[in-house]
Amino acid sequence: MSPLRAKAPRSREKRLDTLGAWFGPVSIASKEFASDEIAQRIRTFAQSSNDDLLYALRILSGIRNSVTIIHGPRGCAAAGLYHTATGSNTRWVVTNLDERDTIMGADGKLRKSILALYYRYHPSVVFIVGNPVIAINNDDIQSVVEELHEELELPIVPVYVTGFSSQNAVSGYDTALHSLLKYLSGNNASTKKNETINLLSVAEHPLDRKEALNLLALIGLELNIIPDDSTIELFRSAVAAKASIPLCPDASEYLGLILQEKYGVPLIKVSRPVGVKGTGRWLKSIAAFLGKESVTEELHTRKAAETARQLGDFSLKGIKVYISLSSANAFSVLELVEELGGEVNGLTITHLDRLHIPYLDELTTRSPSLQIHVSDGQAFEEVSILRKLSPDLYLGDSTHLGQVARLGIPVISLESFALVGYSGVVRLVRCIKTALANGSYELSLAKVSSPYHEAWFRRSHNWHIKREVK
Amino acid sequence: MAHHLEASRNSCALHGALQLFEAIDGVVPVIHSTSGCGVQHYLGVTRLSGGNDTFGSPPVSSSNIKQKHVVFGGGSRLREQLKNTVKVVQGDLYAIVTGCSTEMVGDDIPAMAKEGRDQEWPVIYTNTPGFGGDVHHGYHLAVKALIEQLPDIVKSQEKIPSGLINIWGIIPNQDPFWRGNLQEVGRLLEGIGLVPNLLLGSGQNVASWQRVPGALLNLVISPWGEFPARLLEERYATPSITFEGVPVGTAASILLRRLTEQLELDPIRTEAFITREELRLNQQFARLVDTYYRAGFQREFALVGESAQVIGIGEFLVKSFGLLPRTLVITDNPSESIREALDSRLTTILPGYHTDVLFSEDKSEIADVVRAGEPGIILGSSLEHCLALELGVPFLALSFPLFDRIVLERAYAGYRGAAVLLEDLGSAMIAGSKYINEAS
Ligand code: SF4
Repeated sequence: MSPLRAKAPRSREKRLDTLGAWFGPVSIASKEFASDEIAQRIRTFAQSSNDDLLYALRILSGIRNSVTIIHGPRGCAAAGLYHTATGSNTRWVVTNLDERDTIMGADGKLRKSILALYYRYHPSVVFIVGNPVIAINNDDIQSVVEELHEELELPIVPVYVTGFSSQNAVSGYDTALHSLLKYLSGNNASTKKNETINLLSVAEHPLDRKEALNLLALIGLELNIIPDDSTIELFRSAVAAKASIPLCPDASEYLGLILQEKYGVPLIKVSRPVGVKGTGRWLKSIAAFLGKESVTEELHTRKAAETARQLGDFSLKGIKVYISLSSANAFSVLELVEELGGEVNGLTITHLDRLHIPYLDELTTRSPSLQIHVSDGQAFEEVSILRKLSPDLYLGDSTHLGQVARLGIPVISLESFALVGYSGVVRLVRCIKTALANGSYELSLAKVSSPYHEAWFRRSHNWHIKREVK
Repeated sequence: MAHHLEASRNSCALHGALQLFEAIDGVVPVIHSTSGCGVQHYLGVTRLSGGNDTFGSPPVSSSNIKQKHVVFGGGSRLREQLKNTVKVVQGDLYAIVTGCSTEMVGDDIPAMAKEGRDQEWPVIYTNTPGFGGDVHHGYHLAVKALIEQLPDIVKSQEKIPSGLINIWGIIPNQDPFWRGNLQEVGRLLEGIGLVPNLLLGSGQNVASWQRVPGALLNLVISPWGEFPARLLEERYATPSITFEGVPVGTAASILLRRLTEQLELDPIRTEAFITREELRLNQQFARLVDTYYRAGFQREFALVGESAQVIGIGEFLVKSFGLLPRTLVITDNPSESIREALDSRLTTILPGYHTDVLFSEDKSEIADVVRAGEPGIILGSSLEHCLALELGVPFLALSFPLFDRIVLERAYAGYRGAAVLLEDLGSAMIAGSKYINEAS
C-alpha cells in the first residue's frame, strides 16, 4: 500500500519513539534508545509550545503563488500574520469559524472562500489547513477539496494537522510534506530520471539555502530545492531526481523517506552542513554518491583553509557554551563549538528519537555525563538548568531568550541565523566575539526579578517530567 | 455568517484575554488548551506590536492538552496544571483562560476554578474560545472576569483615594502605543486634580484592580471601554464619561472640560492647566511651519487603525494640522450601532470634503480602498507599508500589527502625544519626499 494513502502520516512518536520531555545524562539516553521499549513522558506542569499546525504553516509559507486557507477560528491564523511580517510567499486566509459553525459544520463556508480566492488571485495551488476545531468536529474537508479540484482544475491540498494528536510539533512537517507529495508529485515513480539533485530545505534561512546551493554548484550539481521557496512544479520534478540530500536530517526526514520509498529517489543520509568538519562531511557524502570525490576534496581543503584564515587565532577555549535548538541542529552546533575549542556543558533539544541514536552513542563515548534536556518551550526547566550550570554563552532559538539573558548569560539568537557552510562558521564567530565582548545589557536585564518561585529552583530539573501511564 | 479574512489583525478571544492579563503585574494566565494557542499569541500578536513583548512572559503556563484529553476530557489535566502553576510561577492572581478545544470538549472550568479557591489559591477564570470572537471580545471577557470575580477572592482593606478615575478601552498591544497613551491620559487627569487608575502597564497590579469599585468615575476612551463601564454602573452605580477615541491634541482640552463640569472640579485650575499645555503645543506647531510649507505637508491621507485611533489621530490631523482625510479604515469590528455613529461622524469630519470610511479587517479589501483614494501619505499598520511603496507615498506605521518600529514609552495621546505624532509624521514626510526626489 502506498505510504501516501492515509490522510496524514503516523506521528513521530509512533514511527520513531519520539520524546518531547526528558532530562538526564547522554549515556542514559543512549541506553534507553538501545532498548525496544521507550516510555513516553509527559509533563505535569507545562508552558505553551509549538504544535503540528505551527510547523505545517512554516512549510506552507514557503510555497510560491499559493493561497493558504486555515479552515478554522480566527486565532489559528495569528502565526500567518507573523509569517506575513517576516516575508512569506503564501497569502494567509482564515475562514473565521464562529460558534455556530462549530455546531453546524462549515464546508459551505470553505467552498465559498476557495472560490472567491481562486477568482481573485488565480493561485497555482490552494492549501486547506486543519486545526483543533476542524479535527474535533471531524469536518468534511475532503469532499470540498475533491469537488472544487475538478471544477476549477486547481490543485487543492488539504493538510490534516490537529494541534493535539502528536506530542511533537515536528510531526507537522511530516503532515504538510505528506500532503504536498500526495497532491503535487503524482502517483507514480518517474520512469525518466533527470540530472538534478533534490536539496531538501525545510524552514531554513534563505542564506543557508544560498550557501548550500553555491557549494553544490561548485562541484557541478544542478538542484531542485523543495519545499522552501519552491513551486508546485518543483514537487513534480522532485520525483525524477537522481537523489535527495537534506539540509537538516530531522526536519526533512519524512520527505526524504517517501521520495525514496515511494518514488525511488535515493536519500543521502548525512547530518547538517554546519561547522567546517560538518560541511566537509556533507559535501563528501554527496560526492561519494555521484563519484565526484576529487573535486569535492579539493573544494573542502580550499574552503577550510580560507575559513581558518578568516577566523585567525579565535578560540573558544575555556568558554562553556549551552545550546538550545531543534535536535539535529543542536548536535551539529555542538560539533561546531567543539571545533572552535569550546566546551558544551549542556543541551536543550526540541525532541529526541531514534534518528538521534548515532549522536547519542558517539557523545556517550566522549562525554557520557553531558546533560540532555528535551523540551520545546519549557523555559522554567531551562532557566533552572542554566542557573545550575552557569554557562558563559547561550546559543539558542527559543522564544524565551529574554528569560535566559536575565540570568546574566550572554545570548546569541539562532532563530533566524544563517549557520550553514563555511560562511556560517565565520558569521557565528563574529557574533560570538561581539556577544562576549560586552555583557552590559545582560547585567541591566538581571535587575528584574524572576517569574518563578525560588522553591522551584530547589526541585530537580525533571520534577514535572513523568512516565506516561497508558 | 462571518466572511473569510485575509491577514486578519484581530486574532482571537483567547489572545485578547492574554493581552489584558499579561499587562497586569502579578497576574499569571493559565491557558487550558492545545499547546500552540499560546505560541500563536506570542508570534502573531505580542511579537507584532513593536517591542511590546511582555518581559520574560513567553512561554506561558499552558495545559497543552493532547488526544486523550480531547477524547476523555481535560479537567484533571487542568487541575494538575493549576496546582503546579501556583507552585512554580510567582503570582498574586492566577487566571484560567480556555481555547477552542477545551470548550468543545466541554471541560467544567468554573468547577476547576472553585476547587482552586477552596485550596485558598487566588484563581479566576474566563471561557475564551477563539470561535467565540476576536481580541476585543477577549478583552471584554477578561475585564468581566476581573470585575466579577476579584472581589470574592482578595479582600482589600486599602483606602480608596478620592477622585479616582478608571480608564477603559485601551487594549494592550492591539494599540501598540498603549503604555504611553495610558500614561499621558493619566498625566492629563492629574493635571486637573484627579487620580488616574491606569489598570494596565508597569506598576499596575491586582491592587489597582481592587480599587476599581471605589472609583469616582469610569472614563471610556474607545468603544471597547463601554462594556466595562456598563458592568460597573450595574454593580456599583459608578457613573461614566464616554470619549470615543484617544484624545489627541486639543481634543484633550474638550475631555478635561467635560470632566471638570461633570465632577464639579475647580474650573480655574483646569483652565490654567489647559492654557499651559496648549501654549506648548502651539509653539510646536509654530516651530514646524517652515518645513510644513516647504516640504508640502498638507495633503490627503489614508488612515488605517482601530476606531479609537482613527477618531483621535484622524480628527487631530484634520482639525489642527490642515490635512485632508481621504480614506479612513476602521479595523476593530465595532458593533452595528457604533458603526453608524462613527460613519456619520467621520464621513463629514471635514465640512465640504468627502471622506471614504470603510470598516474592514481584510488586508486586500483595505488595500483596494486605500489605493482607490490615491492618498498623499498612508498612516496604518505595517501591513500597509508595501501599499505605500507601491503608490510611492510616505508611510507612518502606527497601528497593529506594528513590526517595523519599536514602541516602548511613546504616546500619541494628549498634548505631548500630539507633538510626538507631528515629529513622526513630519519625519516620514521628509524621508518620503527625499525618496521621491531621488527616484524621479
Ligand atoms: S482560535 Fe482557538 S484554537 Fe486557535 S489559537 Fe485561538 S483559542 Fe486556540
